[in-house]
Amino acid sequence: MKGFINRIIENSFIDGPGNRMAIFMQGCNMACLYCHNPETQRMCNLCMVCVDNCPQGALQQANGKIEYDKTKCIMCDRCLEACKNFSSPKYIEMESDELLKIILDNEIFLDGITFSGGECTLQIDFILEVIEKVKNKTSLTAFIDTNGFTDQESLDKLVKCVDGFMLDIKALNDKVHKKLTGVSNKPILENLEFLSKTGLLYEVRYVLVEGFNDSIEDVKEISYLIKNLNDYTRLVLIPFRPFGVKTELSKLPPYSKEKYNILYNEAIKILEDRVIEKG
Amino acid sequence: MNVFEIISNTNIDYKEKKHLLAQAAENTLSYVNLSVKTEKHLKKGILCDIFEGHAPYRPRYILPDYEKYMENGSQYLGIEPPNDLYDAVNALMVIYQFVPSITGYPVYVGQLDYILEKYIDTVSENEARKLIKMLLINIEKTLPDAFVHMNIGPKETKAGRIILEIERELKKAVPNISLKYSKQETSNEFAKLAAEVALEIGKPYFVNHEEIKNILGENYGVASCYNTLKIGGGSYTLVRLNLKKAALEAKDYNDFIEKVLPNVVDSLCEVINARAKFIVEEAKFFETSFLSKEGLIDINNFTSMAGIFGLYECIEVLTGLKLGHDEEAIKYADEILSKIKFVIDSIEGYGCYGTDGKIGFHAQSGIDSDIDVTAGVRIKIGSEPSIYNQIKTEGALHKYFNTGVSDIYVFDKTAKTNIDGVLKIVDAAMKSGIKVFAMNTSDSELIRITGYLVKRSDVEKYNRGEALREDTVKLGAESIKNNKTLDRRVREVE
Ligand code: SF4
Ligand code: SF4
Repeated sequence: MKGFINRIIENSFIDGPGNRMAIFMQGCNMACLYCHNPETQRMCNLCMVCVDNCPQGALQQANGKIEYDKTKCIMCDRCLEACKNFSSPKYIEMESDELLKIILDNEIFLDGITFSGGECTLQIDFILEVIEKVKNKTSLTAFIDTNGFTDQESLDKLVKCVDGFMLDIKALNDKVHKKLTGVSNKPILENLEFLSKTGLLYEVRYVLVEGFNDSIEDVKEISYLIKNLNDYTRLVLIPFRPFGVKTELSKLPPYSKEKYNILYNEAIKILEDRVIEKG
Repeated sequence: MNVFEIISNTNIDYKEKKHLLAQAAENTLSYVNLSVKTEKHLKKGILCDIFEGHAPYRPRYILPDYEKYMENGSQYLGIEPPNDLYDAVNALMVIYQFVPSITGYPVYVGQLDYILEKYIDTVSENEARKLIKMLLINIEKTLPDAFVHMNIGPKETKAGRIILEIERELKKAVPNISLKYSKQETSNEFAKLAAEVALEIGKPYFVNHEEIKNILGENYGVASCYNTLKIGGGSYTLVRLNLKKAALEAKDYNDFIEKVLPNVVDSLCEVINARAKFIVEEAKFFETSFLSKEGLIDINNFTSMAGIFGLYECIEVLTGLKLGHDEEAIKYADEILSKIKFVIDSIEGYGCYGTDGKIGFHAQSGIDSDIDVTAGVRIKIGSEPSIYNQIKTEGALHKYFNTGVSDIYVFDKTAKTNIDGVLKIVDAAMKSGIKVFAMNTSDSELIRITGYLVKRSDVEKYNRGEALREDTVKLGAESIKNNKTLDRRVREVE
């Protein structure tokens, strides 16, 4: 079957253990204020705005979709800026076998693959199909990078075949969570519990956003949550960056290094080497 | 510069003056005898002897058998076999002053971890550290030449660890370091330490021990600029062929492969053999050197090197194809390299006993003055495809070279947090046939943080901001501008 893929990063050191191919799926079910890749959020609605904004004539409408001519593109990203729909004219539709071929061609370089997004679990059938094929042919591991806003049925299917999950927690305070993401964190915290028990919750990611979720108490709370959850999951503290952000948060400066260090040190006190620094 | 200009020049120090005066004296002799056509190729710059001089009196690269020296000492130098680490370090510092080379500095300072390991327990750990640090600083100060090259590995040793740890602390360009790396023999911990250090200071290089062992035997060293040669041997000379310039001489691809290339490679071998012969027969190097008399070198381990560079542009000029991007380009690369190898192997290499009587084949990694021409068989800086394609493309080409070939792979900063991932790529590169894998990190602050993509436009914005904030542009060196080193593809933006 076919999947919608925003981009494939062949060599990633930050999407799970070892060297991985990271596959960014198109489409998301949240709309975070600080989303760094807002162009992955929605599917294209053919409004044509990007076509008019491309200075190179690299985009045109044909066959009921936007066709993208790679050879003309100068990567100016004006199309992404112009798209009001949080989408991209460049995502591609790909057969699972096509993706499988890219993975197999580079197998010797890889420890595994990671599905990210967007929210990759929205295309659960596609990723299951790819993972099954990959596992049949290789010893590569498969990881899922998810926002946790997904249903039990999908998770049940995934835990049977993947090797690890990376889950985002945007905020523990539900009000703040709603403000940041538009949805409640309840189901996400339930999924966190569930995944923790499967032994597959490799990593929890927490983006520090000034004034939203970055008090010392906030950081202590998330650290204790992880500590009490199990004895293996690592917590990655990520400083906010304005790059790519399309909302009012684009005006926020990059997260202060000093503040970051203070919070990171708080987390270390609780989680010791289970907290991972991202500079 | 003429002799008076050298002597009266206020920008050159004493040592350099002596070196230049020696060169000037050497160049008062006429160039070793060459045919008219070969002289023409040299004049046009299709061939280049990398300023070796008219009448060579010592081999370009020498790899003395330092282990033997440590076992026997040296009568000529009046050095007894060392008893402890103090003696050992001293013995090494002494002999380095007596190893000739093209630059005047030894291009190979030995397999230092193995050599020192024998004495490591003769002193306390603290003393060992101090002594090794002293040796490394001494090398850096008295042999200030980036081609001075040390080897370590494949096995982990205490001395090897100390060397890496101290080099990491010193952060100096000299000496260069190669780690002979073998999945079977190198411990994972040692490989990890080496990779960590390499990402920080650009060395050691990872040398494909299994591959090179198969070609040269266990007893090889990596000297100067990624030259792999037998220990106790070396290379008389390195003359290089500019494939781009050669391509510009050809009417078309067929003319190139059938006529131009065999003709210039024949000339390349002619220059090489004439130079090697001069060293052996006229300068009588092996009859005069104490290294030879005391068995620290042996002519039977020597060879010469035929270098090539500019394969990328050669293919581009002749076919319009881009190596690493156009699949078809690799076919031409293969054909060109096989042809060169074929011609080289059809000619007897004078005194090339170390490589079965044939001249060694070397992918030359460039010199500062090379503009618009890519080193060796590398893909043009800034045009590298994805890292896997780069490795696969180049790996397929490295097989032709028995005396050195390499490339540099640049990772973004995230690599430092995932050494296992880096080693996975190194291992895959070794499997793909890469012979020398040098790695580095871009010092770019902008990296993929976690799980999100960085767009090119953001990088540019960032770079603009960065340039405004910090206009201390310390990147003045001409060589950096000329060969666009900084444009080397960083693996962060797809
Ligand atoms: S990518 Fe965005 S701007 Fe372009 S057609 Fe689709 S929805 Fe419209
Ligand atoms: S990045 Fe988008 S707008 Fe810019 S040239 Fe490419 S397709 Fe056109």
